[in-house]
Amino acid sequence: MNIIVCMKQTFDTEARIVLENGAVKEDGVQFIINPYDEYAVEEAIKLKEAEGGVVTVVTVGPARVEEAIRTALAMGADEAIHVEDEAAFGDEVTVSEVLAAVIKDRPYDLIIAGNQAVDDGSGQVAVRVAELLGVPHISTVTKLEINGGEVVAERDAEGDTEIVTAPLPVLVTAQQGLNEPRYPSLIGIRKASKKPIAKVAVAELGLDALAIARRSSVVEIVLPAAKGAGRVLEGDTGARAQALVRELRQTSKVL
Amino acid sequence: MDFRLSLEEKMIQRTVRNFVKNELMPLEQDVLRNEREGRPGLDPETLRVLQHKAKAIGFWGINTPEEYGGANLGSLAMAITLMELARTFVPFDFGGYADNILYACTDEQKQRYLIPTIEGTRRSCFALTEPGAGSDAANIRATAVKDGREWVLNGEKIFITNGNEADFAMVFAVTDKEKGPRGGITCFLVDRELGWRSERVRTMGEWDPAALIFEDVRVPEENVLGEVGYGLELAMRWIGAARWAIPARAVGSAERLLNMAIEYARTRTTFGEPIADRQAIQWMIADSAVEIDATKWITLKAAWMADEGMDNRHQASMAKLYGANMANRVVDRVLQIHGGMGYTKELPIERWYREMRVFRIFDGTDEIQRHIIARNLIKGHVRVDDFLD
Repeated sequence: MNIIVCMKQTFDTEARIVLENGAVKEDGVQFIINPYDEYAVEEAIKLKEAEGGVVTVVTVGPARVEEAIRTALAMGADEAIHVEDEAAFGDEVTVSEVLAAVIKDRPYDLIIAGNQAVDDGSGQVAVRVAELLGVPHISTVTKLEINGGEVVAERDAEGDTEIVTAPLPVLVTAQQGLNEPRYPSLIGIRKASKKPIAKVAVAELGLDALAIARRSSVVEIVLPAAKGAGRVLEGDTGARAQALVRELRQTSKVL
Repeated sequence: MDFRLSLEEKMIQRTVRNFVKNELMPLEQDVLRNEREGRPGLDPETLRVLQHKAKAIGFWGINTPEEYGGANLGSLAMAITLMELARTFVPFDFGGYADNILYACTDEQKQRYLIPTIEGTRRSCFALTEPGAGSDAANIRATAVKDGREWVLNGEKIFITNGNEADFAMVFAVTDKEKGPRGGITCFLVDRELGWRSERVRTMGEWDPAALIFEDVRVPEENVLGEVGYGLELAMRWIGAARWAIPARAVGSAERLLNMAIEYARTRTTFGEPIADRQAIQWMIADSAVEIDATKWITLKAAWMADEGMDNRHQASMAKLYGANMANRVVDRVLQIHGGMGYTKELPIERWYREMRVFRIFDGTDEIQRHIIARNLIKGHVRVDDFLD
């Protein structure tokens, strides 16, 4: 079975984020595999261990992304393709066009990606890739089984579980709960530094850089407002309920 | 000059860091409670399960040669690993190692002592120190007298790490009083069944070494480790070889502590402003950060020198002296920043405070390190102006 994992490197969301000139300051930031993509890597390796096959990791990003690729290889992925090309660094349209172009001429039975990236959280790229490739997709998967030529997936549907089947090849996106990603093994770490990483440029993919250029731009990034102190409402239950409704209507405007 | 870790070293660091965060830190409250109630912080079964989990991903025998199934990562990777493990006070180590001196075993002894120690089925302890001989190890009084095909061992050892739990001890005793330290001290492999006993020595830390008592313990002659009369040479080759391990641990713990202090200073408000806005607190934070960084690089250099096959003893002594004192200063400041809370047993700071005091004593006291450093310089073994020479 040929399994392709679409992976993104993101900054560590547990670290403090500093904004500088309208962007997240990268200096001194730890970068990690996007946690949802880590579930995707883990699921791909588990399936390979059960069914046999090859796991190929595909990613778009600058040179620093190599660390995330090596980590996925150390966990047990077999091959990696790295698009390290300015022309590929755009918005969701750009990245999905690039990923689809990388994948389309390769043999694949299953594509797994994270449900979303923890940095921009668009949740668009993987499903766009499925559309471009003309394959079905199942998103926010919490359980995945291969049953002959089809997959049976349980997906997180707004708190309920939906069971969806689809024929291979198919793209699925991983939701938290799908699995518990493994630690890379020491042997894996040592082997990973020797595994080759294929570098691909946008021009080599037969893509027109202008045609896939970003169509949206980020105007501003702001940190969430600092959390203020709480307020304890006073009076009897009726008075407190009235005060609460008034606050929700007038101050926080959620009603 | 490139101060970055290699990608491989970075992945090792990240993996150990995640292991500590996911597997060990959640046990911290249990460890504190167990110790407060007089039990070992980690019960042996929990430790075994954790070590097994680590072994499954190859984190076992980190510095053990490959021929014994170890990973033989080298000193620099080991120093990085120790820094990460020391971010928690949960008493854990990756299994699969033996004291260096056991590699001097004969092939026959290896089967009985070295290999079972690496595999974790037998536990060893290194018994050199005596009530009257610590850093001046040549002064030991324990004796071994040959009687037929056996040696008869008498004497007392103290502050022996793992002495309560060990199945056998590597015991140093005088076998020729005339020759003294030059050819007159021998090392013996002495099984507990041969009749020695141990007594717990309670310390201010959560780590209790033992006193070992030998009264006419008869040791078969095939249990001599190395050559008769050359035990001290063997010991000296092992002592100090990994002196950078203590400052490496000091760095990991001090970084965690300083992070706790910064977080606390940001949130703790007095007289209407966070204490982080006060210069008195800021200076403690700044001094701690500078000293941690200095320890980190002096230590990594000592470990790197070992990997390069260079004589790192001077550097390792400097790292040990500075790192041990850094840790004590940092934990004291961190406790001070936390005020009354820092002094309670609700937080782990006081535990670290008690534990770190011994850094300045074991594996060569501050005074011995200063003596070594000064002697190297005065005798000209090392030049002051050696710059990365």
